[in-house]
Amino acid sequence: MRQPPLTARRVAAASIGLLVAAGAAACGPEDNDAKTSGGGSAPHQGGTLTILNRNPQQDFDPARLYTSGGGKVPTLVFRTLTTRNRENGAAGAQVVPDLATDTGRPNKDATVWTYTLKEGLKYEDGSAITSADVKYGIERSFAPELSGGAPYLRDWLVGAAGYQGPYKDPKGLAAIETPDARTIVFHLNKPEGEFPYLATQTQFAPVPKAKDTGTKYEEHPVSSGPYKVVRNDNDGERLTLERNTFWSAKTDAERKAYPDRIEVRSGLDSSVINQRLSASQGADATAITTDTNLGPAELAKVSGDKKLAARVGTGRFGYTNYLAFNPRVKPFDDIRVRQAISYALDRSSVVNAAGGSSLAEAATTFLPNQKSFGYEPYDLFPAGATGDAAKAKELLKEAGHASGLTVTLTHSNSQDFETSPEIATAIQDALKKAGITVKLQGLEDNDYSDTIHDVKTEPGFFLAHWGADWPSGGPFLAPIFDGRQIVEDGANFNTGFLDDKSVNAEIDAINKLTDLDAAAKRWGALDKKIGEQALTVPLFHPVYKRLYGADVRNIVISDWDGVLDPSQVAVK
Amino acid sequence: MSETVTKAAAEAVVAAQVTGTDPASVPATTGARQFRRRLRTQRAALVAACVVALLVLVALAAPLLTALEGQDPTTYHPSLIDSARGGVPVGPLGGADGDHWLGVEPQTGRDLFARLVYGARVSLGVALAATVFQVAIGVTMGIAAALGRRWVDQLLSRITDVFVALPLMIMSLALLAIVPASFPRPVLVTLVIGLLSWGNIAKVVRAQTLTLKELDHVSAARLSGWGPWRIARRELLPGLAAPVITYAALLVPQNITVEAALSFLGVGVKPPTPSWGQMLTAADVWYQAAPQYLLLPAGALFVTVLALTVLGDGVRTALDPRAASRLRVGTGRRRENKAAAAAEQGVSS
Repeated sequence: MRQPPLTARRVAAASIGLLVAAGAAACGPEDNDAKTSGGGSAPHQGGTLTILNRNPQQDFDPARLYTSGGGKVPTLVFRTLTTRNRENGAAGAQVVPDLATDTGRPNKDATVWTYTLKEGLKYEDGSAITSADVKYGIERSFAPELSGGAPYLRDWLVGAAGYQGPYKDPKGLAAIETPDARTIVFHLNKPEGEFPYLATQTQFAPVPKAKDTGTKYEEHPVSSGPYKVVRNDNDGERLTLERNTFWSAKTDAERKAYPDRIEVRSGLDSSVINQRLSASQGADATAITTDTNLGPAELAKVSGDKKLAARVGTGRFGYTNYLAFNPRVKPFDDIRVRQAISYALDRSSVVNAAGGSSLAEAATTFLPNQKSFGYEPYDLFPAGATGDAAKAKELLKEAGHASGLTVTLTHSNSQDFETSPEIATAIQDALKKAGITVKLQGLEDNDYSDTIHDVKTEPGFFLAHWGADWPSGGPFLAPIFDGRQIVEDGANFNTGFLDDKSVNAEIDAINKLTDLDAAAKRWGALDKKIGEQALTVPLFHPVYKRLYGADVRNIVISDWDGVLDPSQVAVK
Repeated sequence: MSETVTKAAAEAVVAAQVTGTDPASVPATTGARQFRRRLRTQRAALVAACVVALLVLVALAAPLLTALEGQDPTTYHPSLIDSARGGVPVGPLGGADGDHWLGVEPQTGRDLFARLVYGARVSLGVALAATVFQVAIGVTMGIAAALGRRWVDQLLSRITDVFVALPLMIMSLALLAIVPASFPRPVLVTLVIGLLSWGNIAKVVRAQTLTLKELDHVSAARLSGWGPWRIARRELLPGLAAPVITYAALLVPQNITVEAALSFLGVGVKPPTPSWGQMLTAADVWYQAAPQYLLLPAGALFVTVLALTVLGDGVRTALDPRAASRLRVGTGRRRENKAAAAAEQGVSS
């Protein structure tokens, strides 16, 4: 996640935040639902599933999509070399094979990855899917006119940094070999044990060269998945998907594809979506949403109604909201000041401002509280539930601020309950007891993201959030704490300017591991080590609650994206 | 809202112009006493005046009132909200009890009574201060246009036209977005409203001044060599009082709603300073789960705007010469008035 177009990054972080949702392992009543319908009687085949969303699916070109694990709606149309495991909870944070027979065979130092395609794979027109199509799909994502995807491929593939895509450079990428129609080999310029995670992104979907229409391809992308696009109105605002008759469940263990038809209706207001889902009238009875959470007020209403509460899915997505310090700005160059703020913080009012204990879990670690990230619980500056004002005052006194401290907190003016004014106001209150006076500086949304990611304008103390492109410690920690990723003239994400040789070396060492469990443990340990620098104060990990229609069955919500998975849903 | 205000103001203007053309009643001479007497006969206006006075008193006494309650507008009370249910206030009526008279705010537990009375300071303060700016600029521009040379009038009138045509909300949004956050927000909102929407009052004043200019006492003053400044001050301003006061009374509620709208859109005063518009923004999603949270600022805004509008209307009626002349018929007051007017004129010249 380096040298990104800033917007892409923002989309990554934001889409992650916005698109994520509902019901997971630890979920409530809907678990029973999943079990009875999934285990007992077979889920109903057929019917129409409606998806009510805020954000239109503006991009439908696999080259341009920036997704985590292949996306929600796109994954119904595009199959990729690997994909996310479609299971509830932590099991859903694993990578599983999709088009390929396994999750990839690395060489000894994880710089060469080989995949073999399954037999009998077909496009929506009945023609065979070949490894050359996968290669072509990746190559076209390098074309400037089809930009928008994650930057990893350009960073990782040998000799890909300056590649301009197959339209300008038809010779293609030498780093990807296709010795036969079913084999594809990737040559990387450094060890990347997490390559299988990357291969879940839509850039790894096959694109038949003969059908490629460049920027117009998204109007009718050729389906390799269970559904094909039959209608796309108004730039993805209304989508109709119908069965791809050439897709075979025998080659696809992940997508259940119970409904015959899927209608996506977007551009709706979040309150409208939640109102329609709670009323569950007509077609809305078989509706879900993949991008709209219940807000605090809606949760208060829903939780008072048993019938409605039974139709709420709970999901967790690897995501952390935190306070960030810029140690180049005084007084935050003094670690004692940073520690004092860490000790002083009353997390309970911050959690309440974020929507209460059902929508936010207090965080003391930078890594999300999930196993796949290598979560290791630690609390280096124990503040308790309401803050340790005495300890904070002591540290401030040592640092020469015996008479109290006044700092400015920069936040955004969005209404997202993440970096928004109500969180900032809660922090202002949460630090008051320790004699820390917080002044607030609110910036408009775009201005805010540009300001905090520019080395020259980065404020001293600000609200931030981070989510990874896949559920692992690597993409979560490296962009924020790898000293070699400090970008002095561009979008910089290492906002704490940490450049610690031992941290950098450990990041390289873990990237070499292909045993993802072993890697996860070391990411967890590294997180704790970085935490000692007090460059961030973790605030909370969000929890996503989403309503679904009364006739929706087979609810599966994985920890990969925390979203009710449309590929698993059945409608009565 | 603003349309009705403009309409009402236009009527007032017409009324004021009628005054000017009726040589028998010189507006300056209606007198404060008479105005008070006429206002007193309108019960609705009296009630409105009391409500407005009460609101101003509440706003001024906000620290006192909250001290009496034992609360303040910014302290969080996490124990009074149900965190697991999105932070809805614990207990019936939004947690209202002896300690928190109007309950607490969802998600924070801040005292709603304290926020409401402190919010009144922002809403009324900004609206009144902005009105002062509007009147000052409007009267100056209007008189200058009417008394100045032709090209001055042309220039100032076109400028006025531009300001009348400006979409207030859009301009305010743009201005508030570009000014640095360090600038004190209530002052900024006051300035933006005050400096942008003075066009209508300037037009009213210009029209009225043009009429007054032709009256005998003004001509006499001019012929005796008075400068325009002295004429404006001594001969015109008293005659302009009626339409200006009328218009100002109607501008205050309009400004309150503009301030609320700007805060509602997130560009008004900044948290944690409470304002009614801001409370409305935060409360609109809570209308089902915690209705009182929305109803309190909405009700306060409604009552304030209604009271000010009724009062403004009362003022207009009291200053309306048609109503005034009706009152005077057969009462013998006409002579009284004339005498008083003559006396006053004597004093002033």
